[in-house]
Amino acid sequence: MINGMERLVTAIKGEKSDRIPVFCNLLDQGAMELGISIREYYSKGEHVAEGQLRMRERYGHDNVWSLFYVGKEAELLGCRKIRYAEDGPPNVEDFVIKCYDDIAGLRVPAELKEHPAFREELSCLEILKREVGGRYPICAYITSTMTLPVLLMGMEKWLELLFTGPAGVRDELLERCHEFFVKEINAYRDAGADCLVYSNPFGSTDTVPMKYFLEHSLPWIEKDIKAVGTAGIVYYCGTSRFNRVIDTVLERTGIGVYYLSPLDDVAEGKRIIAGRGLTCGVINDLRLIDWSGEEIRTEVKRLIAAGMPGGKFLFGTCVMPYQIPEENIRTMLEAAYEFGSY
Amino acid sequence: MLEEIIKAYNEAIFDTDRERALKVIHDAVEQGISPEDVVFKIVIPAIEQMVKSISEDFDANLAQHFMTSQIAAEVTEEMLSRFRTAPVIAGRVVIGTAEGDLHSLGKRIVMGCLKAQMIEVFDLGVNVPPERFVDAAVENSAQVICISAMMAHTARGENGCLRVRQLLKERGLEGEIRIIVGGAPFRFDHDLYKAVRADAWAEDGISAGRIIVDLIREVKP
Repeated sequence: MINGMERLVTAIKGEKSDRIPVFCNLLDQGAMELGISIREYYSKGEHVAEGQLRMRERYGHDNVWSLFYVGKEAELLGCRKIRYAEDGPPNVEDFVIKCYDDIAGLRVPAELKEHPAFREELSCLEILKREVGGRYPICAYITSTMTLPVLLMGMEKWLELLFTGPAGVRDELLERCHEFFVKEINAYRDAGADCLVYSNPFGSTDTVPMKYFLEHSLPWIEKDIKAVGTAGIVYYCGTSRFNRVIDTVLERTGIGVYYLSPLDDVAEGKRIIAGRGLTCGVINDLRLIDWSGEEIRTEVKRLIAAGMPGGKFLFGTCVMPYQIPEENIRTMLEAAYEFGSY
Repeated sequence: MLEEIIKAYNEAIFDTDRERALKVIHDAVEQGISPEDVVFKIVIPAIEQMVKSISEDFDANLAQHFMTSQIAAEVTEEMLSRFRTAPVIAGRVVIGTAEGDLHSLGKRIVMGCLKAQMIEVFDLGVNVPPERFVDAAVENSAQVICISAMMAHTARGENGCLRVRQLLKERGLEGEIRIIVGGAPFRFDHDLYKAVRADAWAEDGISAGRIIVDLIREVKP
């Protein structure tokens, strides 16, 4: 029987398998699956791996995740306080950088693999690789150099530094973040991750003006990608729209997979990519909490009709909110399998 | 002359260039533009221009919202001390992020815009319990409670807007105090504000200013 990896590879080549690949990004739901709290779930790599494997079996989608929560990267760089919720993702509660002087003291671990927080991620990856490696794409999440400071000092302080702070301090922080980025992505690759989701809201003109994107964001994107290569890299701006920059990013970096915003026009994104890469059409999964079955089917059908013709298309979700009823997850996936069939 | 100054200020704002924007303002004051005109004829219209561009232009973005708001607040604060007579306070609001939510950027953008519009803002910070929102609104005679939430569970949670509404109802304050919500979940579901029983929502921090002014007018005697 055809598996998720075959569907993905076939789609990237522009060929047809049984259906388009379908990525469903269930994270916190793993705790529910195992019947434990979110805090306990994320305390062990084996819990996360078990949750991912069980949910993939249950729903039949094509990917699994090694991501715990986004704030994990801040822990690797010194964050000691994470705020857990009972029904949502953990968040950074205490920023590593509280003033500009803290930037000089920021230390990138010499060996990520030795860090206790990263060891749990590696343990998760090891299990996933053993159980589904080569058959179902294993996704890892890596925050870009330009966006990582948000996790270290908060969005407010980072925008302040970017637009009104001393350039030398800004560049020093970005250099450290780039150093971490390269180490992290290499560690994930070594551990068997296949899809490296390069998350960068600063790579979207929803976040910065086009002029700023071209002068500041793009050079850091180029530097990131030049350092690690394009293999497995997925361009993603954290639900921010980026159709306007796709052509430039594609030309300047060669990244071959674009995971659009739910607010992007899928048909337009596909037209811009023009066969040079894989277009990922993404559903507005926040609406899955309340939509009726019929509304879900209609939206899935619309997205797939916009992106599937001509191939090189994947259907996906953002990070699915914990509040989505199981029935609605099933309805969405069954519709994607039905309308995405060749 | 004023038209040229407005144009230069707007261009600096759209380029997220704080230094250039402040220079335009300081040059204008040197040329004899009154502090009152700086605020009411340059700074506030620039915010309104940004709101207009948001509705028309894809390229109005978070960085521009942030810089517009911060520069507006900075210039207003500087000019207020030079006003010939103290400005009339247009209204009072309390603002904070919903319980469990630590994302403060949207709140800060809204605060900057409101200050420029002569609205007194009481910042309750992040992770604000519902009781605190209501108590602070009463203590400060606020007409509007502004609740920011960046995550689905904090936007929809029982201790967010839903509980604030319930408290207003229990205390008989619904006729005097309005609730506005904002944050990513509301952008991705335009009907969500009704589900959490808010009176209004705003697409972004800049647009929030105008909607809050309208809410104040609804309840202010």
